[in-house]
Amino acid sequence: MIAIRKDDVDIGRLIAAAKQHGTGAVVVFDGVVRDDDIREMELEAYSEVAVPELERIAQEATAKFSLLHVDIVHRIGRLAIGENILVIVVSAGHREEAYAGSRFIIEAIKAGVPIWKKELTKDGSRWVPGEHAHGLGKTK
Amino acid sequence: MTVKVRFFARFRELLGTDISVEPENGTTLTDLVRGIAKKNREGCDAIFDPEGNFHKFVILMRNGKRVELRDAGSTVVSEGDEIAVFPPVAGG
Repeated sequence: MIAIRKDDVDIGRLIAAAKQHGTGAVVVFDGVVRDDDIREMELEAYSEVAVPELERIAQEATAKFSLLHVDIVHRIGRLAIGENILVIVVSAGHREEAYAGSRFIIEAIKAGVPIWKKELTKDGSRWVPGEHAHGLGKTK
Repeated sequence: MTVKVRFFARFRELLGTDISVEPENGTTLTDLVRGIAKKNREGCDAIFDPEGNFHKFVILMRNGKRVELRDAGSTVVSEGDEIAVFPPVAGG
């Protein structure tokens, strides 16, 4: 499943679905809302561009690391501390490929998928600064 | 000619989004964005530097494809275009 959505996802079901024939390792990345003295986090996405970009990243990771299955679910909307923001589930024949594939996907998402986070504090709010000012969708 | 302009994140808060505009033929991407941004001083300052150029961190897209800032002044918008303007991404 590749999705940007408001609803949470059942990670257990994703793990079960990731166990394809030949699977020797499943790696789960679960990014959650950290308690950085905030009340909640609000996320927004340019979904028409972000979803195809997630699909492209999944395809690239699959080819590069011989992954057997990839799920990427990025949530948007208002999330409380401890809630899932981003769930990545990958399976591969061996742990090296599964770990490397998972790491590749999260770094690629941070570098170039049009999604933004805003931290809501007790005093107001602040946009989380992007780590990569020029990373997104470079002109080919 | 009708063109849709979408701002995201902080730019959206300052300028709104899904703005439908009717530019004249020959209008460039820079002129289009500037024309909207100048209606809100804070929004304009968020996107353009004091010389009127895009801040280097601003990301522009036309119909889902990145447009380099250096090309925005020579990129002429067309009927039905969707222009997106946003700050650096911060997902994950």
